Order: sequence, then C-alpha cells, then structure tokens
Amino acid sequence: MNNFKKNFLKKRYNAERRFQWYGKIAIGLALTFLAVFMFQIFSKGYSAFQKTWIVTEVHYDKELLLIDAESPSKDDLENADYYDVAYKAMTSLDPGLPEEEDRQLIQMVSYKYETEVKDLLLKNPDFLGKIVPIKLTASDDIDQVHKGNYPRDIPEKNRRVNDYQLQIYDMLNERGDILSEFNISFFTNPDSREAELAGIASSFMGTVFSILVCLAFSFPVAVLAAIYLEEFAPKNKFTDFIEVNINNLAAVPSIVFGLLGLGILLAVFNLPRSTPLVGGITLSLMTLPTIIIAARASLKAVPPSIREAALAMGASNMQTTMHHTVPLSMPGTLSGTIIGLAQALGETAPLILIGMVAFVNTIPGTPVDPAASLPVQIYIWSESAERGFVEKVSACIMVLLAFLILMNLAAQIVRHKFEKKWS
Amino acid sequence: MSKIKAENVNVYYGSKQALFDVSIDIAEKEVTALIGPSGCGKSTFLRCLNRMNDVIDICRVEGSIKMDNLELNSRKLDVVRLRENVGMVFQKPNPFPKTIYENVAYGPTIHGIAQSKEEMDQIVETSLKKAALWNEVKDRLDEIGTGLSGGQQQRLCIARAISVSPEVILMDEPCSALDPIATAQIEELIDDLKKEVTIVIVTHSMSQAARVSQKTGFFHLGKLIEFGSTDKIFKNPDKQQTQDYITGRFG
Repeated sequence: MNNFKKNFLKKRYNAERRFQWYGKIAIGLALTFLAVFMFQIFSKGYSAFQKTWIVTEVHYDKELLLIDAESPSKDDLENADYYDVAYKAMTSLDPGLPEEEDRQLIQMVSYKYETEVKDLLLKNPDFLGKIVPIKLTASDDIDQVHKGNYPRDIPEKNRRVNDYQLQIYDMLNERGDILSEFNISFFTNPDSREAELAGIASSFMGTVFSILVCLAFSFPVAVLAAIYLEEFAPKNKFTDFIEVNINNLAAVPSIVFGLLGLGILLAVFNLPRSTPLVGGITLSLMTLPTIIIAARASLKAVPPSIREAALAMGASNMQTTMHHTVPLSMPGTLSGTIIGLAQALGETAPLILIGMVAFVNTIPGTPVDPAASLPVQIYIWSESAERGFVEKVSACIMVLLAFLILMNLAAQIVRHKFEKKWS
Repeated sequence: MSKIKAENVNVYYGSKQALFDVSIDIAEKEVTALIGPSGCGKSTFLRCLNRMNDVIDICRVEGSIKMDNLELNSRKLDVVRLRENVGMVFQKPNPFPKTIYENVAYGPTIHGIAQSKEEMDQIVETSLKKAALWNEVKDRLDEIGTGLSGGQQQRLCIARAISVSPEVILMDEPCSALDPIATAQIEELIDDLKKEVTIVIVTHSMSQAARVSQKTGFFHLGKLIEFGSTDKIFKNPDKQQTQDYITGRFG
C-alpha cells in the first residue's frame, strides 16, 4: 500500500470516528437538557405532595355551639355555630395575646378551618362537650415556612409571615404540633384561590373527560376516513386534493382550532361553555389529521400480497379490508392515535379560547360540567403570585407527565397485544 | 375436453400493450404450463383467468375468455363466485398472519360452505391432507401460519386454495422461492391434484414444466408463440424461437 492510499484510509477512519463523536455529543446534550428539566421540576415540585398541619385543641362547648337539645340530632350538629369554637381553638395557642391581635393567629391556618372543626364533630358526635386535639390545615405561608421555602432574613415588613407568627410556629414545631403528611387533598380538591387548599381534581377530571370525548370523536371518524381513502376511493385529482388538505390540517396552529370551537361549537351550536365536551371536540379536530395520516401510513404498509391472497380467495373488497388489512394496520393506527391524544393532552391554547380557563372550584362529574384541564391549570397557577403555587405548578407538571407516561405505556401494551396476535 | 377457452385476448397497462391476441385452449383436469422469459406476459395472462387484473387500475383486458361457456371478461360477471371456482397460488407464499386453521377455514367461512364446526374441521383436515401438510401440522393448527417454513407455507397456501373445492387452480411460479426438496413436494402435489382440478402453472423452470405438465405454452414479448403437448414442445417444437428458448440459447 503506498503512502497516499494509507493517508486516504486514515482520513476515512478519522471522519467516521469524528462523526460518531458528534452523535454522542448530540445525545449527551439532549440528555443533559432533559435531566436539568426533570431536576428543576422535581426539586421544586416534590414538596407539594407534603401537606402541613397545625395541631391544636378544640373544646366542643355546647353553649358556644348554641346547641340546646339534650341529645342533639345530626341536624342540630349540622346547624350549630362553630365560629366561636373554632376561633377559640386557634386563640388558645397563645392565651396572652390581646384580642385585637387575634387575626395573626387565625391567619396561620387556612380560611376553611371552621369547616374542619365542624367536620371533625360531625364525624365523631361523641366529642360534643369534650376537649379533643384537632389537625388544622396550615395556611400556605406557614406551609412554605415549614418546607423551608420561606426566607426568614428579609425585613419583617416585606414578609407575609411576621415575627410573632414565626415565634408561634417555632413554639409549635418544638412541641411537635406541626405535622407534615402526604397531601391527599392535592388530588381530591378542586382549584382554590388559597394555595394550601388548591388541588387538581377538577382539572384532572376535565382532562380525562376531554381526552375521552376527543377519542370518541376523532378515532372512528379518522379510521373510517383513512380506510375509505386508502382502500376504496378512486385515485384521482379530487382525492389528491383531499390528501393535501388533510396534511395541511395537521399543520394548522392549535389556537386556530380553538377559534373554530369558539365560533362554531359555542356560538352556533350553543354547547355549554367551559366544558370538556366542547374541549374534547375542539381537540379532536386537531387529532383527526394526525390519526388519519398514521392510519393511512399503516394501511399502506400492509403487504399487497395479503390483499391479493384474500381477493384470490373470493373475498370482497370490504371483507379483504375488514378481515385482513385493518387488523394488520391496527398497531400503527393505535400508536398514531396515542401520539395524537398525547398532543391533545398537552394542548392549552384552544382550551383557553373555549373557556376552559375559567376558575372552577367544583369537580366535574360529567363531560358537560365546567372544568379546567391539567395544562390550563398549570397556566392558571403559574400566573398566581403566592409562593405556595410555585410548587403546585411543578407538581401539576409531574402529574401531567405521569399521565403521558401511563398513556404511552398503555399504548405499548395494546400494540404489543395486537402484534402478537397478528404476526 | 376444453375447460377454459381464450380467444384474441389483448391486455393493456395504460397505453402499453402487454398481451397480443392470445388464444389458448386449456384442457380439463390437466396441467398446463406457461413458460417464457420474464416480462413476456404469462403472469398477466394467468391473472386474467381469475380477474386479478381488476386490482390494477390502469389494466384493461380485451377479448373473450370462456370457462365452461361462461364469459369471464364481462362486467356482469360475479368476481367473487369466479374466484371461488378459480383458486390461485402466488409466487411468494402469502399465508394470512393467522392460525393455520384460520388460514384454511377462511375461504369456506366467507363462502358459507361449512354448516357446522364439525364440517369445517373436516374441510380443514381434508384440505391439509390433500396439500400433504396434515401430518406436519395436525398438532399445531392454532399456531400462526407465517411461522411455518417456506415450503410448508406454500403448501398451506395450496391447502387454502383447495379448501373451497375450486375447479381450476392457477399457480404463479409457486416454487420459485422454495428449495429443491420443497419444490419436489409441491410438484408431487400438483400431480395428485390434477385428478380433480384443472391446473395452470406459470414457471421459469423448464424442467419443472416438462415434469408436471401435459400441455405447454411458450410466451414471448406478449405473444403466445407456440402451444401444444409438453412432449412436442420440448422434443420437437415447430418454431425456431421455442427451440432456442428451451435449449437455453436466449431468455
């Protein structure tokens, strides 16, 4: 081998090595971004799954509750006045505090503390007349102090928690009367203006209903359209035109579909505003082209020899399609559907336009109840000023990601099942 | 006796003519081999006999093809019924990606041939036996047909084709993807089948045509050059072109 050839060969090997390194660097970069993103979300969000409680004692005094009956019925307990009892439960933490300063103590628990006092008695009617310990939801400021997210070294007038409240907190903490438990209410509560009470139940259900409506509308329509276009429609200028338009539809920005939903579904058909029904239909306009394209591609990928075999057996076009081509194309169609739904899952803009951005503090039971959705919830919370919402945003993102992962997992399992069956 | 009578068949793919005035008489319960170089139109002709050319949009067939006095090249013909009577085996084994049982039972199912499960079992067993596959698969009928070896797959396709008891079976180079042992098995099978069915086979193997067929037709550039008894074609053809092709001087 002469020198020139040797050098030439060396250059070729070097070029290949360099190319592999570029690839490795690219993958490394992508993984780094992902890791930073995940770390950011988890480090900020994990604390949202912890809830802070303040433990105090409550005296269910019949007089203060304004209960006259000797053995009060459920109704009596329901209609009793809990204001004073609850108030006393909090102020008893520092009996020496002058009355006009009471608010400082009351502000340490959520504004719903009176309901919590009431609920405990309704659950345990024999507590009446007794002094019992009670867990009250800490306000989001105390919650943040307890989680260490609240800097104490800034001047008092710039702080939402003043020195007195910090002092009480420290005292309670020393006594072990500040509890940190898994935050069930984050999953069971609807949205709230108070960070300590806000949960994702309404937006989660909204998302579930929207996705179901979206699936119910887009999947059958898209699959039928794909089958017709691929297997039955004559190939001419008109079907070419339709194909081009489907591809265009897939590239339309989602906010445009939101406007369509607003203009047609709400304005013309008068469907209920802010509901998963409208949200789901709007999203299905978006997923429709994605599913059609995926379904057509996987129909095209079915080997023609299978079609020929069925036709040669005397199967009609319809039988060939339904017995062989469509089942064989199902794995591809399903993964296309999941990709479309995953896009829809993360979609915010069209939902904002059809009013799913409204503040909803009830949990929707049906697709025609007002609801938010997870991405919209993230958007709403990220605009809130309270420190307590910062961790909620990250936690909500985590739930959304978990939802996505679960969906992809389900898709994989379904795919796997179909593939096993058909090949 | 003549089973299929083709007269002046012309086939066009768009503006390109693939067959020129082909006239041929295919005898009943015999094996007719169609030979010729690639692209000579023998497969195209074969696909006219069960109207598989319908699948190709740009394909146009002219002329008359009669099977038992039924005009095949007619718009009014019920293609589904025709294909029930004219089975086909393709070049590449193409069993359905379903179980062996379902593969054979598919034809009888869509044509409503079996009245009961027992009858269907019987049809599947008979078809697999006729295709000389029964002994190899009888214990694993619920396995996927595509998991069999190439030769077994092709015999499964033959079993599928005969499950509806067709009068004619068309074979489009059925052994070109198989090894010599599998080929020998298929050829034996063809010999058995011709007692009951008329077989038209397209093949690239001259020796195969000589072994299995009674009549042979030689195609070249879309024309049927010569048609006659296999013996005559291989030993003493009328046309020089046939002679050249058979002795390997071109093609």
